[in-house]
Amino acid sequence: MAELKKGDKVSLTSGGYVTIEKELGRGGQGIVYLVDLNGEKKALKWYLNAPDDKFYKNLEHNIMSGAPSAAFLWPEYLTRKEKGSYGYVMKLRPQNYFEFGNFLLAKKSFRSYSAMLAAAMKICNGFMMLHRCGYSYQDLNDGNFFIDPTTGDVLICDNDNVMPQGEKSGIMGKARYMAPEIVAGGVPDKYSDRFSLSVILFMLFYANHPFEGAKVVACPCMTETFEKKFYGTEAIFIYDPADKSNLPVRGIHQNVIRRWPAFPAKLRETFIQEFSQDKLKNPNTRMIESLWEKLIAGIRDTLVRCPHCGEETFIEESSKCMDCGKDIDSTHRLKIGTRSVILTKGTKVYIDNDNIPDAEVVAHPNDPSKLLLKNLSNSNWTAETPSGKIKVVEPNNMMPVNPGIKITFSNTHKGEFIQETNN
Amino acid sequence: MSLLDEQVSVPRRTMTLFFLIDTSGSMEGNKIGAVNDAVANVLPMLDEISAENPDAEIKVAALEFSSGVNWLYSEPKLASDFVWQDVKAGGLTSLGAACAELSTKLSRSGYMQSASGSFAPAIILLSDGGPTDDYESGLNKLKGNNWFKAAIKIAIAIGDDADKDVLKQFAGNSEAVFTVHNIDALKQIIRVVAVTSSQIGSKSSTAGDTTKQDQVVEEVKDAVENIQGAEAATAVDSSSYDDDWD
Ligand SMILES: [Zn+2]
Repeated sequence: MAELKKGDKVSLTSGGYVTIEKELGRGGQGIVYLVDLNGEKKALKWYLNAPDDKFYKNLEHNIMSGAPSAAFLWPEYLTRKEKGSYGYVMKLRPQNYFEFGNFLLAKKSFRSYSAMLAAAMKICNGFMMLHRCGYSYQDLNDGNFFIDPTTGDVLICDNDNVMPQGEKSGIMGKARYMAPEIVAGGVPDKYSDRFSLSVILFMLFYANHPFEGAKVVACPCMTETFEKKFYGTEAIFIYDPADKSNLPVRGIHQNVIRRWPAFPAKLRETFIQEFSQDKLKNPNTRMIESLWEKLIAGIRDTLVRCPHCGEETFIEESSKCMDCGKDIDSTHRLKIGTRSVILTKGTKVYIDNDNIPDAEVVAHPNDPSKLLLKNLSNSNWTAETPSGKIKVVEPNNMMPVNPGIKITFSNTHKGEFIQETNN
Repeated sequence: MSLLDEQVSVPRRTMTLFFLIDTSGSMEGNKIGAVNDAVANVLPMLDEISAENPDAEIKVAALEFSSGVNWLYSEPKLASDFVWQDVKAGGLTSLGAACAELSTKLSRSGYMQSASGSFAPAIILLSDGGPTDDYESGLNKLKGNNWFKAAIKIAIAIGDDADKDVLKQFAGNSEAVFTVHNIDALKQIIRVVAVTSSQIGSKSSTAGDTTKQDQVVEEVKDAVENIQGAEAATAVDSSSYDDDWD
């Protein structure tokens, strides 16, 4: 064990060194220090007990390969083995990001549903990129995710335990977040990661755990043996339609009881599927990340600003605002492939999955009953009117939301305005 | 929006950290002073671990035993509410009575009555001598208690007069008994053991095969290497020699 002190210099394998300024925090494995690298502030994770050579080599490899996506606070430099241990350097986590655990403890909450959906999208994308690079995430728990409550942007930390699939880092995640087959002793892979992803997403949306219902609450002493049962061999989804023995308990699981019926049906249906006994036991049937992205995009398409009270609301069959209860005209739509984006005044439209709004619906300045679509992106849109005229909509310019107009947002994204008939 | 604003904390289990403190006459002076100082100082650290932890909140209970036994509070308290009253040394070492008393409280009708359930407790026993009462009947009762069986158990032997064999029986094996030889080491080990067992005990367990008890023992062992005057159980267990040559 080797702690560092202010002023200590630790050399990097790439040459140069970092200088210790102060301790930022510590955990079971090591200490995180604020360090200076050539005038730039960085974070150094320093292991109290140097893990083995294999771990060092894996870190070296991950640093060489680079971060799978911007969601990862990825190791950037490796230190030499000196002062009795070693560590790695990464970017500092900005102040406006908070541990996912703080959201669970209700110390922090999302400022909007858009932020919540943005966080979900970013996590899905992070996992997709991680798997695309051939890694699996081993040490998954609520301490690894940091989220900006305002924007929903996500940083995934503690990536030193990311390993190529099929290998085991030896540092295991919390049973609560791991797939049943991993709780039972298996090696994490992309299939088990997908399970963990669905647990994280469930907790992000509903702020309770998908397997903690009546059955689990009734257990007076959660021993390790019981955890292996409740998250492993005998895991039962709290809303499993086939087994109601583990329903959420009033007064204890308040968040999910309130949100489950209020949030979109598509989300409910997906979680019921993903947490069915069949998928618990058949890892390769779990939903892939790109389908999660598609689901979240689809839900975002139904999230609108209420023109009456100005709050966000999900529109499903009923077009009533979740907040003020008034009817919302949801007939104006933008069709993009199979998607149907609902357009109401004040609603932001996300054409792709990068969490940056590409368009905003605004009221016509002379006739508030008419809607316009404003180009918030950096590139020109090309529109084709029903009579065949071609118009270019430059960034910050607007176009009328008139049925029949076709728009090319980019090579991959083309849409058309339609008006649905009110039943 | 309103749904997001109405969010409440996820339900948390409770993890109770028990201090069992030998306050017999031999503890008088530096030893008891160090214990008082160390526990009072570790409470804010436990509070911090508890506040940031979505799995469980940590409560603290302390039982002192000398000629009799006495709980410092009549129920486990959050570390932030636990005002440490210095314990005083004097009298005998009623370890058996302490074990029996602990066993009574390790039950749902005793101290383990949290509405959203508990994690297995962590129990730290500190002693500098040997029991003066019939410890076996008390200890046997405790060993039959399911909460105790599942608990993280660490014993701290203060000096060479501590009866390590009894401490070993309490903690389950000699690995979970740590010995300290000076006041500074005593303070440090109390901090390390309390923090480590709280951190590990109050979290959902890891998906691997190592038990929480093993994880705590491993981490404390690592820490002990850097504490002058503290030692983990070594290959040479002197108590076994004593037994053989008596
Ligand atoms: Zn409204």
